[in-house]
Amino acid sequence: MRAVLRRAGSGLIVLWAAATAAYLALLAAPGDTVDSIIGDGADTPLIRSQIIQEWGLDRPAVVQYLDYLWRAAHGDLGRSYLLQRPVRDVIGEQLTPTLELAVAAAALGVLIALVLAVTTRRAWARRTSSTTELVLVSTPPFLIGIVLLSVFSFRFGWFPVSGDRGVAALILPAVTLALPIAGVLTQVLRDGLDRALSEPFAVTARSRGLAENAVLIRHALRHALLPAVTLTGWLFGVLLGGAVIVEQVFGRPGLGQVTLAAVNSKDMPVVLAVVVLSAFVYVLINTLADVVYLAIDPRLRRS
Amino acid sequence: MIRRTAALVILALALAACGNGGDDPEGAGSPQDGGSLTWGVETEPITFNPHLYAQAKARLLVWNTFEGLLTHDQRGGVVPWLATGYEAAKDGLSYTFKLREGVKFSDGTPLDAAAVKANIDQIRRPGYNPALLAVQLKNLKDVEVVDPLTVRYVLTRPDVLILDFIAAPQGALVSPASLETAKNLKAGGPDLAGTGPFLLDRYTAGQEVHFTRNPGYWGERPAHLNEITYRFLKEPSVRVGALTSGQVQVIEGVPATDQQLIEADPRLSLTRGLNAGTAYTYYLNASRAPFDDVRVRQAFREALDVDAVLNAVYRGTATRAWSVVGPTSPFYDKSLEKTYSGDPAKANSLLDRAGWTQRNADGFRTKDGKRLTVRLVQSAPFVRDRRDVLAQAVQAAVKQSAGIDLEVSLVDQGTATKALEDNEYEVFDNSRLDTDTGVALNLLLHSGGAINRTRVKDPAQDKLLDDAQATGDATKRTELYRQLQQRVVGEQALVLPLYAPADQIGAARTVGGVGFEPTAGVPVSAYGIWLGK
Repeated sequence: MRAVLRRAGSGLIVLWAAATAAYLALLAAPGDTVDSIIGDGADTPLIRSQIIQEWGLDRPAVVQYLDYLWRAAHGDLGRSYLLQRPVRDVIGEQLTPTLELAVAAAALGVLIALVLAVTTRRAWARRTSSTTELVLVSTPPFLIGIVLLSVFSFRFGWFPVSGDRGVAALILPAVTLALPIAGVLTQVLRDGLDRALSEPFAVTARSRGLAENAVLIRHALRHALLPAVTLTGWLFGVLLGGAVIVEQVFGRPGLGQVTLAAVNSKDMPVVLAVVVLSAFVYVLINTLADVVYLAIDPRLRRS
Repeated sequence: MIRRTAALVILALALAACGNGGDDPEGAGSPQDGGSLTWGVETEPITFNPHLYAQAKARLLVWNTFEGLLTHDQRGGVVPWLATGYEAAKDGLSYTFKLREGVKFSDGTPLDAAAVKANIDQIRRPGYNPALLAVQLKNLKDVEVVDPLTVRYVLTRPDVLILDFIAAPQGALVSPASLETAKNLKAGGPDLAGTGPFLLDRYTAGQEVHFTRNPGYWGERPAHLNEITYRFLKEPSVRVGALTSGQVQVIEGVPATDQQLIEADPRLSLTRGLNAGTAYTYYLNASRAPFDDVRVRQAFREALDVDAVLNAVYRGTATRAWSVVGPTSPFYDKSLEKTYSGDPAKANSLLDRAGWTQRNADGFRTKDGKRLTVRLVQSAPFVRDRRDVLAQAVQAAVKQSAGIDLEVSLVDQGTATKALEDNEYEVFDNSRLDTDTGVALNLLLHSGGAINRTRVKDPAQDKLLDDAQATGDATKRTELYRQLQQRVVGEQALVLPLYAPADQIGAARTVGGVGFEPTAGVPVSAYGIWLGK
């Protein structure tokens, strides 16, 4: 019970720190809020005073910050400067498509990595796979997306180009996002497998007469999974960053596009909401990772 | 007193119906009803509320659901639309409109004088659209309901640009009932009712917006299409791929590199239209060195072979501009063509005479140990048409031909705004899409203009702009704007016009009625579009 409370407490602190850091960063960025609301439109003192009044920008920065925290704590994320709608609506309707994309990509990436790491044990297969992984990791997702689209959508017409329209439209974006993830994860898993197989317990297992595949999957893979699980935080970062590009290329709705537009136009309420949301998911994922450690490794359960 | 009659409305209807002179690709046949169309567009509107319209690329969506009292004809003038006619008072201080009878908004509210007034009242509410109030409606005193079908716009001083506002998306009329009830008024969407030929029934942010035919449309016929979907495809190559693979039937915004591909495809057609408004122009900041010297400004223009850089960047698809005023505007001064630029020898002699005689190790000119540097600050969110690449081409050209150091920085909007406010720039780039170029010229060249980036404060220049805004006589306006261009583009060399912005439409040949809006030169709304068999 105490452990759970401690976790929740530290989670809250992370959220607050993320919100505050984002607030300060946006405050320090060049150009003030009024400028970003005006955009490249007309700019007169009358326009300025009306904007300042509408958004309450004449209050001291500290008051605005506290007001923001207070309202955020009550679930009110404010209104988007750019889109003129409540931030909660903007984020709410874009969350599901991004979540679908992220979960599909993560699942696919992990699946590919597991299969590749276990099946490519022979030297030649290993070399081929390893080279491919490096190429995938080093290729910008933008390029992967365009190539996949050109071949499978424009040329063969197997998949629709865009939108959030069922499973068919999810496949290409998910693959685009999954390939770099699979690349890194495979490398980590293979390295972990190599190390586990050289441990004494592998020799013991073999001496018990276990088949090589059983040693690999039942014993070594478990050990190899630990470092891979540690990477879930990184995985989340890749998914969020990749979503920005993938959504743009495939014309998919989602948080990535919202974030990009908000950052470009300095739409503070939306940027802050995305940061806080990301921090929340981050905390959630790291907590989950801790639980998964326990499930994978019995030694950790005892301590 | 000017009196326009209903005959003009018929003409306007015909014009709008056939777009740019009935640009009818073979294969679509004669107009027929039914079917649904998908159109890949580049830009997702930030709002569907016409009063707050600010993106030229969203114009084609506005006219599907909303209409104004006036619309534009082919020659840059205005003709009645939801009005049957209008009268201008002799002193230019009021305009009286007779409204069309029997028109209803799609929510059932009748269009009457009170509805027109309610729209203006909404626009004048504090915090709703301050930019519109400060610029286009600066001289509007009030809107009076004369009788249910007669409404009068009263001005504080003569301002012919009010007609351009009434014909613009911001002047389009929204049902007063929906102005009261809409959930997110400023974002617009399905809640806002208009009088147009389509109803916006579904909007998925980041993906698409969907319209269905308005069965009760007041015009002589309803729209041809049953429904139309606009997909937001931001990547140019993805738009082109979606068109060539038949996933969408129409796209706008075809990059220069793909235009040949579409032209070569027998199933597809490509049409280009020049936008109204100002050309894409470099405005030279005359308030500080080195561009406070007219010889340096002239030298900068002579140092650049505009045609060569345009060809290099846009592969011959761009239209060279010679004036701030776009070539399709009735105010365009053709006599400026071929009068300047592209003469490196002249550029070098001008710079020599202006005292920039030394060269440093990098080949740049210097004066008193200071390098001849001019800075262009581009705001990344607003860069389109590969203008960042164009800037690099210009940079290389002026360095090579005259040793001028054009420093280009591509920055976020806040940084760009700060540089402009602090007067830390020498070159400002901009093009504006305004159906009446006068609106843009007031903003860009008037000493009190909101984006007067040349920073010139010249009473004579202001007077030309003010007089042109106050006169209803088209010939007189044209003459005043001609003098203005002679001064700004010719004698003073305050600007370097580069190209006339254009839109391109790629479409399957089975689609009829696609083209460009009269005057504005942007893609048409869906009213006149049909699907051939």
